[in-house]
Amino acid sequence: MIETFKEIWRFADKEQGNVIKSIINNFLNAIFYMLQIGAIFFAIDAMLKENAEKKTIFLCLGMILVGIIGRIITNTFSQLQQTHAGYFMAANKRVSIGEKIKKIPMGFFNQSSLGNLTGICTSVLGDVEMTAPMVLVTTMSGFITSFVFVVYMLIFDWRIGLIAVAGMFLFLWTASLTDKKAKEQAPLRQNAQAELVSNILETVQGMAVIKSFNLTNIDDKKVDRAIEHSRDGNLAMELVLTPYTILQETVLKSASAVIMVTAALLCVSGKMELSFGLMFIIVSFSVFEQLQAAGSGVSIMRVCSNSMEQACQADQVEELDTNGKNIDVPMHDIVFEHVDFAYEDRKILSDVSVVMPDKMTTAIVGPSGSGKSTVCSLIARFWDVDQGSISIGGTNIKDYTLSSLMKQISIVFQDVYLFHDTIANNISFGTPNATQEQIETAAKKACCHDFIMSLPNGYETVIGDGEASLSGGEKQRVSIARAILKDAPIIILDEVTASVDPENEQLLVNAIEELTKNKTIIMIAHRLKTVRNANQILVLSDGKFVQQGTHEELICQPGIYADFVNGRKKADSWKIVKE
Amino acid sequence: MEQKQKSPLMRIWDLSKSKQGMLKKSIALSAVGVLIGFVPYISAAKIIAMLIAHNGNTKDIVLWALAAFLTNECKTLLLTFSTSVSHKATFAVLAEIRQKCLRKLSNLSMGTLEAQSTGKWKTILVDQIESMEKTIAHVFPEFTGNILGAVVLMVGMIVLDWRLGLLSLVTLPIGMAFMMTTMKGYAQNYEKSIHVGKKMNDAILDYIGGIKVIKAFNQSEISYTKYADSIRNNASFFYGWMKQSQFGMSCFYSISPAVLVIVIPFGLIFYMGGSISVTEFLTILIMAMSVISPIIKMTSYMDSLATTGTLIESVEELLLAPEQHHPQEKVELADQVIELKHVTFAYDDEAGNVLNDVSLRIEPGTKTALVGPSGGGKSTIAKLIAGFWDVEEGSISLGGKDLKDIPLSQISENISYVSQDNFLFDDTVRNNIRMGRENATDEEVEEIARLASCDKFIRKLDRGYDTKVGGGGTHLSGGERQRIAIARAMLKNAPIVILDEATAYIDPENESVLQEAIGNLVKGKTLIVIAHRLATVTNSDKIVVLENGCIKATGTHDELIESSELYRHMWKASTGNGGEQDD
Repeated sequence: MIETFKEIWRFADKEQGNVIKSIINNFLNAIFYMLQIGAIFFAIDAMLKENAEKKTIFLCLGMILVGIIGRIITNTFSQLQQTHAGYFMAANKRVSIGEKIKKIPMGFFNQSSLGNLTGICTSVLGDVEMTAPMVLVTTMSGFITSFVFVVYMLIFDWRIGLIAVAGMFLFLWTASLTDKKAKEQAPLRQNAQAELVSNILETVQGMAVIKSFNLTNIDDKKVDRAIEHSRDGNLAMELVLTPYTILQETVLKSASAVIMVTAALLCVSGKMELSFGLMFIIVSFSVFEQLQAAGSGVSIMRVCSNSMEQACQADQVEELDTNGKNIDVPMHDIVFEHVDFAYEDRKILSDVSVVMPDKMTTAIVGPSGSGKSTVCSLIARFWDVDQGSISIGGTNIKDYTLSSLMKQISIVFQDVYLFHDTIANNISFGTPNATQEQIETAAKKACCHDFIMSLPNGYETVIGDGEASLSGGEKQRVSIARAILKDAPIIILDEVTASVDPENEQLLVNAIEELTKNKTIIMIAHRLKTVRNANQILVLSDGKFVQQGTHEELICQPGIYADFVNGRKKADSWKIVKE
Repeated sequence: MEQKQKSPLMRIWDLSKSKQGMLKKSIALSAVGVLIGFVPYISAAKIIAMLIAHNGNTKDIVLWALAAFLTNECKTLLLTFSTSVSHKATFAVLAEIRQKCLRKLSNLSMGTLEAQSTGKWKTILVDQIESMEKTIAHVFPEFTGNILGAVVLMVGMIVLDWRLGLLSLVTLPIGMAFMMTTMKGYAQNYEKSIHVGKKMNDAILDYIGGIKVIKAFNQSEISYTKYADSIRNNASFFYGWMKQSQFGMSCFYSISPAVLVIVIPFGLIFYMGGSISVTEFLTILIMAMSVISPIIKMTSYMDSLATTGTLIESVEELLLAPEQHHPQEKVELADQVIELKHVTFAYDDEAGNVLNDVSLRIEPGTKTALVGPSGGGKSTIAKLIAGFWDVEEGSISLGGKDLKDIPLSQISENISYVSQDNFLFDDTVRNNIRMGRENATDEEVEEIARLASCDKFIRKLDRGYDTKVGGGGTHLSGGERQRIAIARAMLKNAPIVILDEATAYIDPENESVLQEAIGNLVKGKTLIVIAHRLATVTNSDKIVVLENGCIKATGTHDELIESSELYRHMWKASTGNGGEQDD
C-alpha cells in the first residue's frame, strides 16, 4: 500500500505541490465539517439544561454556516489543485515521452512499439489524469482526517477515544489484509485477460480464413474458453475479496456499536455528562465515514499504479549517445569497416567491409531476411554497430550530431507516412522555410503536381480528412517530393517501388530519377530493372556481401545473382499449364 | 428512433435478459438490507429516550445496541451478497455479449469484416465490454438501495415530525441551484473540449506515427514543440473549464448534505415552542445526517450511466448489423461458369459507386486477368465473386445459379481466394495447412506442402511440421507465410482460384519459387488474377481492363494492344524503362 502511495507520489513529480495543497485543503474541509458536530453539542446541551434561547439558535446556525462556507472554499481549492495535478502530471508525462522519443534509436520503432506508445500517450495516461490524484487525495486526506478526528475524541473523552483508536487500527489491519489478497489474486485475473485479448485477436484476424475455408466453429472452443476464463477470473477476484469486505465493515460497525453502548452506559452510571453521551451516540453513526472512503480508494489506487507502470515503460529504453559535432563534408562516400551487428541475439552482419562511392548508385540485393534494410538503418544510425565502424566522407558517423548526420541523408521509406496536414506542409516538412514555388517545383519533379492540382483544395488539401484519399503510388510520390526538396547528398531508397501498379510505376521511376541526380544512392530493390543500371551491386547473404560488381559482371559469375536473374526470368515467363 | 430514446438503464436491463432473475434477486437483497438498516436508528432513538428519561438500565441499553449491531451486520451481509449476485450476473452477461458479438462477427459478410481494422473489433469485444462492468454490476442494487434508503429515512422523519422532515429536504434544491450555474456555457465548453482533445490526439498520432520521417528530416524540435504545445493546451483547457465551474460544484457538494443548517435551528425553535421532544429531535437529527448522501451518490451515477449507454449503443450497432442471407441447403450447379450481369456496387451510399454496370462472363478452365489503374474496381469484382458482399443491383451467378441462392459454404467450396494477406493461426504448420481440408492425412498435407514449395523450409524449422507459427510462434518471412497459405488453398482444391495481387510483396528470388507454387495451385482451374505486372498476365485467355468502375475493354493481350489505348499505355509504361521481359 505504501509502495503504491510512493509510486503515485513519484509520478506526480512537478505536481507534488498541488497534491499536498489539495490534501491540506481536504483536511481543512473535514475540520469545517466537524463544526456541525459542535453545533449538535451546543443544541443538545441547551436542550438538556433547559436554557435554549435565541442566542443558542444563532450560535448553532453561525457555526454551521461558517462550516458550510469553509467547506465550499476548501473544496473548491482542493478540487482545483487535484485537477491541476491530474491533468498536468499526465501532460508532463506525455511531453517527457515525446522528449525521450527524440533520443531513442530509430530502430526501436516498429509497428508494435509505436502502437504501444500511442496507447500510453492517449488512453493509459487519460485514465491516470482522471483518477490518480483523485484517489491519492481521497485516501490520504481520509486517513489524516480520521486520525485527527480520533485525537479529538481522545481529548473529549479518553474512553470513547480509545475505542475509536482500536476501531481504526483494526480497520487498517483488515484493509492491508484485503490489499494483500487482492495482490495475490490479480495475476490470475490478468492472465485470464491476456488470454482473452490474444484469443479474440486471433479469432478476428483469422475470421477471413475461417470463412473462406468454411471452417465455422473450428476455433470457437478456444475463444469460448478464454471468454469463460475471463468471466471466472473476474468473478473469482470479486468473490475472494467479499469476506474481506465483510470483515472491514464488521470491524467498523462493531466499533460504532461499542461506542454507542459505552457512551450510554457511562451516562447511566454517571461517569459521563448526558450531553456528551448523546453527542457520542449521534457521532457513532458517522465517525468512520472518512476511513471507509479512504479504504475504498486503496483498491482504485492499485489499478492506477498499473497504468503508471505502463506509462513509465518508455523510460527504460536505452538512448542513443549523441555527443557528436556539427560536421559538413564535401565528399559522401560511405565506408563500412569490419561491421558486426546483431539484433536481439540474431547475428545480421558479421565483419562486413565495403565502400559505397561518392555520387554513385549502390544497389543491395539478397534473400529476404538477409539484412538489406539493416545496412540502410546502420548508415542512418537507426541502430549503432556492435563492432567496426561506418564513416561518411571519412568521418565516423558517431562523430556527427544526429541532426548534422541527417542533413546528409534522405530516406524514402517503403511505408510512407504523411502527416495530418496540408500537402504543401507535407512536402516542405524537411525544409519549413521553403517557398510555395520551391514546393511546386519539387512536386513537379516528383510527378505529383498534376494530381495535387486536381484535389479540391490543391496544395492546401489536408491529407486524411476524407476528401483526399491518395493511392499508395501518389503517397509515395509526395514522400519523394519531400526528399527532393530536402536535397540531401545521400539518398537511401528502401524497397520504394515494391507495391505500385504499372502506370504509376513509370511516374515513380521518373520521380526517383529526379531525386537521385548527382547523389550518392543506396537502394534496396525488388526489381531487376532498377538494379541493373547501378554502378555497383552488392549481394547480401548470411550476413556478408558475397558478390560485388556491375550487372554485366555478376550475371557471368555463377552465384546468387545469376540465379536471381534467371529465377526472375522464369517468373516473368510463367505460364499456366492447362490440362 | 424508438430504440435511441431508451434510457441507458433500460438498455442495460434489456441486454441482461438472460440474467434478469439474478439481478432481481440482487435488487431484492439490497432492498431488504436497506430496510433492515433502519433498525439502528430506532435503537439509537430508544437509547437516547432512556438516557433522557433517566430510566436506562444496562440490560436494555446493551440489548438495543446489540440489536443495532446485529441489524447493521445483517445489512452488510445482505448488501455484499447482493453485489456478489449482481457481479455474478454481470460477468455472465458480459461473457454472453462477447460470445454473441463473436458469433455475429462470423455471420457478417467478409466485406464488412475487412472494412474495420482488427484493432477496432478488439476494442469493442474486449475493452468496451469490459468497461461496462462497474456500471452494470453496481447500478441495479445500489440505485435501488439508495432510493429506498432515502425514502425510508424521509418517511421516518415525517412520521416523527412532518415539519422537520420536509424542512430537511430544503438544502437539496439550493445546492442544485448552484449546480445549475455551472451549466452556463456547458455546451460550448464541451464542444471545445472535444476539439482540443482531438487536436491533442492527432498531434500524438502524428508525432509518434511519423517519428521516422520526423527524425529522417531533422524536424524533431519543431514537431516536438507542436506535440508538447497541443498537450499543454489540452491540460490548460480542462483546468480552465474546471476553474469556471468548480465553485458551483463545490457549493452543490457542500450545501446539499448540510441539512443540519435547517434542522438544528428549526428543531430548537419547535423545541422551545414545546412541539417536539428532545428524543424526537435527536432521532431526526441522526436520520437527517444520512438522508442526502444517497441522493448525491445517485447523481454521480448518472454520468457513468450515460457513458455506459453509448458503449452499449456501439455493441448493439454491431449486433444489429446486416448479415448475408443465403440458403443453407446445397444447390445443384450446372457448371463452373461465372457470370456478372449489369453489376453496380457501392461500399456505402456516400462514397459513390465502385462498379458501374459491369457485365462479364468467365468460362471454366480459363485464365482471366483484371487489370487497370488502382481504384478501378479490380479487387471489388474479385471479392464480389468470392461472396464477400452480396450485390444489390445486377446479379452474379455461378453455374447458372444466383450467388445469393447458393449457401456461403458452397461458394467457399468452389472458390479459393488468395490475397496478400495470409494470416496464420497460432498453431502448428501442419494444422495451418490442414485447415484447407479438415480430414486430410499427414501424408496429404506434406505432399501439398511439397507442391507449394514449402516442404523444404518447413523441415528446416525447429520442430518441422509441428512447429508453432502465427502470432506467438516462430518467425517466418512474408514469402514463407504466403507459400503456407497457398498450400492451404491447394489442399482445399476448389475449381475456381482467385489471386488478388498475391505476389505483390515478395522479393525476386522468392517470387520464382512462389510462382512455381502458384503454377501448381492453378493447374486445370478457372483462374482469375489481379496483378500489378502486366507481364505475368499477357498469356491470359481474357484480359479485362477496368477504369473507374467500368470495363473499358476486354480481349487477349494482342487484341488489346491493337484496340485499347489505355491498355497500350499501361503496357508501354510497364516495359518503357527497358523492362526485363525483353532481355
